[in-house]
Amino acid sequence: MKKSLLNLSLLLVLFLTLGFVPDNNESNYDFRLKNVDGKYVSLKDYPDAKGFIIIFTCNHCPFAKLYPPRFNDINTRYKKLGVPLIAISSSDTIIYSDDSYPKMVRKAKAGKYNFPYLYDNLQTVARNYDAQKTPHAYVIWKENGKWVVKYNGGIDDNGKHPELVTKHYLTDALDALLAGKEVALKETKSIGCKISFR
Amino acid sequence: MNIKNICVTLVAFIGLTNANAQYNPLKIPDTLSGTVFNLTVRDTFKQFLPGNQTITAGVNGDFWGPTLIFNQGDTVHINLQSELNDSTTMHWHGMHLPAVMDGGPHQVIPPGTLWQPYWKIDNKATTFWYHPHLHHHTEEQLSLGAGGMIIVRDAEEAALPLPRTYGVDDLPLALTSRKFDAFNAIDYTSSHYGDTMLVNGTLNPQVTLPKQFVRLRILNAEMERGYNLGFSDNRTFWVIGNDGGLLNAPVALTRVPIMVGERVEILVDLGADAIGSNVNLMAYNAGHPLGFPGAEPGTTGPFGSLLNNRNFNILNIVVGATTTGAITSLPATLVTNIYPTAADATLTRNLLVTDGTPGTAFRFDNTDFDLDNINHHVVKGTTEMWTVKNNNIFGHSFHIHDVQFKIVSRSSGAIAAYESGWKDSYYLKIGETVSFVAKFEDYADPLHPFMYHCHFAPHEDGGMMGQFTVEDPSQVPTIGSKGATFTLYPNPASTRLFFSFDDPSAKAYYVTVSNAIGRTLLMLPRPELKNGIDISNFPPGMYVVQLIDEKTKGTVTRKFVKE
Ligand SMILES: [Cu+2]
Repeated sequence: MKKSLLNLSLLLVLFLTLGFVPDNNESNYDFRLKNVDGKYVSLKDYPDAKGFIIIFTCNHCPFAKLYPPRFNDINTRYKKLGVPLIAISSSDTIIYSDDSYPKMVRKAKAGKYNFPYLYDNLQTVARNYDAQKTPHAYVIWKENGKWVVKYNGGIDDNGKHPELVTKHYLTDALDALLAGKEVALKETKSIGCKISFR
Repeated sequence: MNIKNICVTLVAFIGLTNANAQYNPLKIPDTLSGTVFNLTVRDTFKQFLPGNQTITAGVNGDFWGPTLIFNQGDTVHINLQSELNDSTTMHWHGMHLPAVMDGGPHQVIPPGTLWQPYWKIDNKATTFWYHPHLHHHTEEQLSLGAGGMIIVRDAEEAALPLPRTYGVDDLPLALTSRKFDAFNAIDYTSSHYGDTMLVNGTLNPQVTLPKQFVRLRILNAEMERGYNLGFSDNRTFWVIGNDGGLLNAPVALTRVPIMVGERVEILVDLGADAIGSNVNLMAYNAGHPLGFPGAEPGTTGPFGSLLNNRNFNILNIVVGATTTGAITSLPATLVTNIYPTAADATLTRNLLVTDGTPGTAFRFDNTDFDLDNINHHVVKGTTEMWTVKNNNIFGHSFHIHDVQFKIVSRSSGAIAAYESGWKDSYYLKIGETVSFVAKFEDYADPLHPFMYHCHFAPHEDGGMMGQFTVEDPSQVPTIGSKGATFTLYPNPASTRLFFSFDDPSAKAYYVTVSNAIGRTLLMLPRPELKNGIDISNFPPGMYVVQLIDEKTKGTVTRKFVKE
């Protein structure tokens, strides 16, 4: 009894202080989340985007820590082609204080993130995407006015040693889509720390 | 598809190692010693195979943690910080200690929490280990590498002419196997048997050992596989110790079986080997009847493995130069053990292995494991005989917490000399009934139970487990009675928080500290509160202290503010 009361008040606190606003008008893949610059970001803010690279990641996971330079690079290359990268942290910040919003802000600054790094405080977006690990990448593409997942899984096949990567799962999918082709490998295993859902 | 084939080929190659194999140097885990042990378990990664790294769960490292050195008579204090992305527990397998410190499935450590068990080491000198014991998740967390070994030293062992230079002539060997998927991830769901051997987390390991007597402390840290150990030249070796201590005298053998959770200490004489020559520690696992875990014929499916029903290499040993102070002869006798006998038992408990037909999990006594149900109540001070009957479809590795016992009968025949010592786990063969005797002499606790279970991780996770409390009839808590009242000071506090009990004789059974939003930060079993508790690392805010009273087991909650 005490516990559920505590959880309820906790949700209330989060709701009031962080202002999560569920968006029911779009497909499940859209969202409206607070960026590290304090502004809210939604897919609708990018009317010209052909698609998006959505990456679930976090501060604390040792494996996820290996990837931000690659995210910067991928965003530089694909944003100008109409496919921006958006990173989302859906970590349970009650447990992982390293993933708190202020620490996300610090991390983005220190890592010179050139992409939005959004705070999915209620883990709703991760649930909607069924994200399992950090990092976990999705490519969504606009088809008949709706967002469709075209790729889901890992970024590449070597976290620690970018120079030894032989399979660029994510960018191969992007290149195929931009060339108007089918994605050959639509799903791979996302490797990283388990997203611990509340 | 291509990746998968390459992987399978690679795995098959590693499994079929020969003289041309590329070995990796055996990892010798670091040691931690003293009386305070800082352990952090976290999600991390390790480079096991060419290509991507493998996600692991490591204690103070990436896979398989440090070896803890305990001295008999010391009180050890553990600071176990969990940074795992899941709850966990940490069990000190084989150690005699209070149930509330034991780290069984009841002492759940949420992510981000510091757990501080402590206990006085009264076990004999031998080899123990620590591993997660979270109900339903033991296989997952153990597969990912969370665990390590413990060496207890005592005066009796120290007086013997035995090898004991850690990492030189005295080595811990944690044996296990893993299956890696096409993405180099550890696959703990498609089969309970791995395809490639790991020793101390090293694939295809090699070690140079000196030309003299060497001591191997071997642990079966598997999920389910048993190992029938021997050397590639069939040389004689000597078993000197079981799970709970040294034997009375070395036992000469050419093969010894070791099931999940069991430890065996052996002496091997390399004194007659040429420097630079090789010998392999092997698993002679071919040709065992069904019921021996790992004898299954298949290579695929939930009990399939490339190592099934085969003889395979465990460790390649290269003989190196003799060290100074080498042990060059075998001691004729070791220690004098006084074991309990069947006649000492004043009570017999009968356990039956049930279920386990395809599609059902194994159980004891047709009873589901229930964390809230105490299956057996043991009266403190009793010597008991536990008889476990397995007229069922497979073998098991029976393990009991709290005590070291003596096997007094096996329905399949005589008790082998190699398992004649102190045990906490044993091989319960198919069709067999085994009795052991143990004395439950202390650590009465009506709240926290000890566990008994099959140590095959899938069997344990599936509910082949039960629990018992050790009870002192003169100290029964009154249900519903109030806990000791106390105040916290200073409040607000900044570095240390002190407790002042209204009744100065009151003691804490358990203290939990949580922050305002319910996150547990500290779990303190039976804390020694006289010096307060350290809160210097806490962020400012309001905190809740929950205290369970030792005498009444009632709970009282107080708040404090950290400045
Ligand atoms: Cu079993």
